[in-house]
Amino acid sequence: MTPSPDPAEPRAPAPEHTGDTSPAEDTRADKEIERLRTLLFHRELLLLEQLRARLDSPDARAGDVGSVLAEALVLSSREDDRLKMAMEPLVDRIVKESLRDNPHEFSESLFPLMGPSIRKSIAESFHAMLESFSKSMETAFSWKGIRWRLESLRTGKPFSEVVLLHTLVYRVDAVYFIHSATGISLASVMNEGTQSGDSDMVSAMLTAIQDFVNDCLADGKKEDLDLLRQGEYTLLVERRPAAYLACVLRGAPPADYRAHMRACLEYLVMEYAGQLANFKGDTGPFAASRPRLEKLLGSRFVDEDKPLPVWIKLLVAALIAACPGAAGYVFYRHRENAARAAEDAERRRSFRADMLAAVDLLRREPGLLVIHAAEQPAGDTPSSTASAASPGNSGQNRDTPQEGATGEAASPAAPTAAASLSDHTGQGPAAPPEQASAKASLDAGTPWKVVCLKDRLARTPEEVLREHGKDASLFSFTLIPYVSYEPDMVSKRVDLSIQPPENVSMRFDDGIIYLSGTAPMHWTLEARRKALTLPGVKDVDIRGLSDPRSARLAAMIQEVQGASVEFPLGKDVPVPEDMPKLTHLVDTLAAVQRLAAEMGMAVSLTIYGHADAVGSVARNYDISQARAKVIAAMLYARGSGMPLALYGLGADYARKSEGPDQSSRRIELRVHLSPSVVPELDFINH
Amino acid sequence: MLTKKICMLGAFAVGKTSLVKQYVYSIFSDDYLTTVGVKISKKNIAVNGVDMNLVLWDMEGRDAYTDVNISYLRGAMGFFVVADGTRRDTLDAALQLRAAALDVTGPIPHCLLINKADLAPEWQVTREDVDRMRNDEGLTTFATCAKTGQSVEESFRTLAEAML
Ligand SMILES: Nc1nc2c(ncn2[C@@H]2O[C@H](COP(=O)(O)OP(=O)(O)O)[C@@H](O)[C@H]2O)c(=O)[nH]1
Ligand SMILES: [Mg+2]
Repeated sequence: MTPSPDPAEPRAPAPEHTGDTSPAEDTRADKEIERLRTLLFHRELLLLEQLRARLDSPDARAGDVGSVLAEALVLSSREDDRLKMAMEPLVDRIVKESLRDNPHEFSESLFPLMGPSIRKSIAESFHAMLESFSKSMETAFSWKGIRWRLESLRTGKPFSEVVLLHTLVYRVDAVYFIHSATGISLASVMNEGTQSGDSDMVSAMLTAIQDFVNDCLADGKKEDLDLLRQGEYTLLVERRPAAYLACVLRGAPPADYRAHMRACLEYLVMEYAGQLANFKGDTGPFAASRPRLEKLLGSRFVDEDKPLPVWIKLLVAALIAACPGAAGYVFYRHRENAARAAEDAERRRSFRADMLAAVDLLRREPGLLVIHAAEQPAGDTPSSTASAASPGNSGQNRDTPQEGATGEAASPAAPTAAASLSDHTGQGPAAPPEQASAKASLDAGTPWKVVCLKDRLARTPEEVLREHGKDASLFSFTLIPYVSYEPDMVSKRVDLSIQPPENVSMRFDDGIIYLSGTAPMHWTLEARRKALTLPGVKDVDIRGLSDPRSARLAAMIQEVQGASVEFPLGKDVPVPEDMPKLTHLVDTLAAVQRLAAEMGMAVSLTIYGHADAVGSVARNYDISQARAKVIAAMLYARGSGMPLALYGLGADYARKSEGPDQSSRRIELRVHLSPSVVPELDFINH
Repeated sequence: MLTKKICMLGAFAVGKTSLVKQYVYSIFSDDYLTTVGVKISKKNIAVNGVDMNLVLWDMEGRDAYTDVNISYLRGAMGFFVVADGTRRDTLDAALQLRAAALDVTGPIPHCLLINKADLAPEWQVTREDVDRMRNDEGLTTFATCAKTGQSVEESFRTLAEAML
C-alpha cells in the first residue's frame, strides 16, 4: 500500500503552504496547524486526556485492574506456577483463620469433596437397587407412579431415581470401619453386597480431613467431626481412640441409629483390641467384622400407594400413548404438582431431622427417659395435639404440690416448675406469635408424639427444648412419673432433701454420697439419716465432715483427762497446791457437759483413784476409792448430774513400786461421750 | 489384604505429585482441595507373592521447605523424601524432612528420590552427593523421572518390599 492513493493521508495539501514567511502568515499558519492538529489528532488528544484522568483517579485504576485481573490470573497460571506459589500461603492463611472461627461450617464444605468418590463407590449398588425398584413401580401403576414418571420426564432424572427420592425414608449405603492412626479402612460394607475398591481412599481422605480440622483448631478445643451433611448425603462418624466408624446414608435415620453405631464400634474395639493396637496394615483379621457392619446397613421406604382401579390405568395409559396433546396437558398439570412434591419431600426431610435432633436433646437430659418418639398417627390432627399435651402438663401440675408437701418448697426446682406452669396458662388465651410459627412449621410435617418417663426433679421436656431454642409446640408429650437412678438426679434429690449448709460440699460417686466441710453434728446425723432413705443412695460417707465445736470439745476432754490431782499420804483431800486445779477441773467438766449436750451428746465420767505402795493392799484400795469419791462429791455439789463410775485401784498403778510417792497418790479422769438424741454416733470413732 | 500408608515428603515443586501420578493410574480426585494439604491415591501391587494396597498420602508443599505436617504422618508405614536434582537446596530440605519425619513415625522404611533425571545436564546435585547419601546416610536413593517414568516403579516396589 502506497501513501498517495490513501484518501485519509493528511500530509497531501501541506507542501502548498511551506513558502509563506510573513509573521501574520506565521500566526495564521500556527493557527492552521493548531486547527489541523485538532482536526487530525482530535481522537488521540481526547484519549490522552482520558488516560491522564484515569491515572490520576485511584478508583478508575482499580476498575482497570479489576477488569483484567481474571484474565491475567488465567494467563499467568497457564505459564507457570509462580502466581500459585505466591498466593498459596495467603489463601492458606485465610482459610485457616476462617476455619478457626467456624469449624463446622468449614468441615461441612469439605464434605462435597468426598461426595463424588463416595457416590462413585456406591453408584453400582445404587443402580442395581434402582432397577428393581423401577420394576416394582411399573407394576404398581398408581397416581403417584404417574406423577413421578412425569417428574422424571420433566427433570431428565431416571424414573427410578425420582421414585427413590420420594419414597426413601433413609438408606445406609456404606459403612466403613477405619483405623484411626493410619486412616486405613479395616473393613467396609456396601448396600446390596457390592464391594467397593475405593474404601481405602474414602477412609484415608476422611481421616485427612479430620486431621486437618483438628490441626486448625486451637489447642484444647478439639472438636471432632461426627456429622457431615451434603445435599441428600449424611456422613455419621462415631469414634474411639483406636478406630472409628463412618456411615454414609441418605434421608433421616431412625433416632437410635447412632446408638447402634456406638454399640457396634464398642464391640469391635473390644473384640479387636489387640489387632488394633498392633496394626501393621494387615486387614485380614478384620474381615470377620463384616457381618456386624452389615447390621448397620439398612433402609426404609414409605409405603406405596394402593393401585388404581384398572379402568383408570387403562384410560390414562391410552391417553398418554395415543394422544401427545393429552399427554402434554397431563404433563403440564403435573409439572407444578411434581415441583411442589419435591419441595414438600425436602421440607419433610428437614423437618424430620429437626424433630430427631430435638428428641435427641431430650434423650440426653438427665431424669428424662424417652420411650417413644414418632410422628403422630395420621388420625391425629394438630388440634388434638393440645389435648394430648395436657396430660403432660397436668403431670407437672401434680408434681408441684407434692414438692410443697414434703417441705421442699424452697428447692430450686419448684420456682421453675411454677414458672413454666404460669407460662402455659399465660399463653393460652393470648394466642402468641409462637403459635403462628409453629403452625407454619407444621406444614412441613405432622406433630410428634413423645412419651417420656420423667423424674420429679427433672426439667420438663418443654423447658429443655426452650433452652435450646426449639419449638416445643411441635410435640405432644406424655409424661410418666418415675424415679431416675441417674447420678445427676440422685445427687439433685439428695441436695434437695438434706439442703447442705454453705460450708458443706457434696459429691456423689457410685451410689455413695460424700459430705465434707464443717457442719453441726446434729445436722450431719440428720442429713445422713435422710439421705439413706432416698432412692439411689447406697451409703453416706460423713468422714469428711467436722463439727466446728468438736475440736473445742476434744481439747477440753483432753485437758480433763490429762490433769492429775495429787494427795498427801493417807489422806483423801488433795494437797493444798492442787486445790485450785481441782476446782478448774470440775468447771471444765461442767463445760464439757454443756457443749456435748449442745451437740446432742451425753457425757459420763469414770474416776480412778490411786494410792502409793506404802501400806497394806486393803488399806490402799480403801484410800484410793475414797479419793475418787471426793471428786464425785464435788461434782454432785455443783449439781452436774453426770453419770459417774468410781474405781479405787489401790497401788496397782503406783508409779513407784515401793516407798511413799506423792505422784502415785492421785486421781485420773476418763470422759465418755454417748449420743443423747440419736442412736448413731459412729463418726466419733473416726 | 495388607494395606500400607505411605507419605510423600519434599519441598514444593520437586515432583511428588507427578511421581504419584506416574505410578498410579487412578488418582482419587485431581482437584482435591490443596487446602487440606494432602492428595490421596491408591495402588495395588503384588510383592513377593503378597497382595498389597499402597495408600499414598501426597503432602502439598507448605510455606516452609521443611515443615512436616505431623498429623498426616501419624500411622505412616513408609515414606519417600523427594528432591529435585536441579535444585541443590531441595536435597538439604529432603534430609531435614526425613529427620523430622522419623521423629514422628519412629524407624520405618523410606527412600530418597532425586527427581527430574531427564534434566540431568542441569543438575546441581552431583554424583558425589548421591554416593554420600547412599554410603554416609545409608539412604536407599533413586534418581527418578516423573516425566519418563524412569525408576519410578522400581522405587515404589523397593519401598513396598521393605515394608513387608
Ligand atoms: N522435567 C521434569 N519436570 C518434572 C518432573 N517431575 C515433575 N516435574 C515438573 O515439576 C513441577 C512440579 O511438579 P509437582 O509434581 O507438582 O511437584 P510437587 O509440588 O512436589 O507435587 C511441575 O511443573 C512438573 O511438571 C520430571 O521428572 N522432569
Ligand atoms: Mg504436589
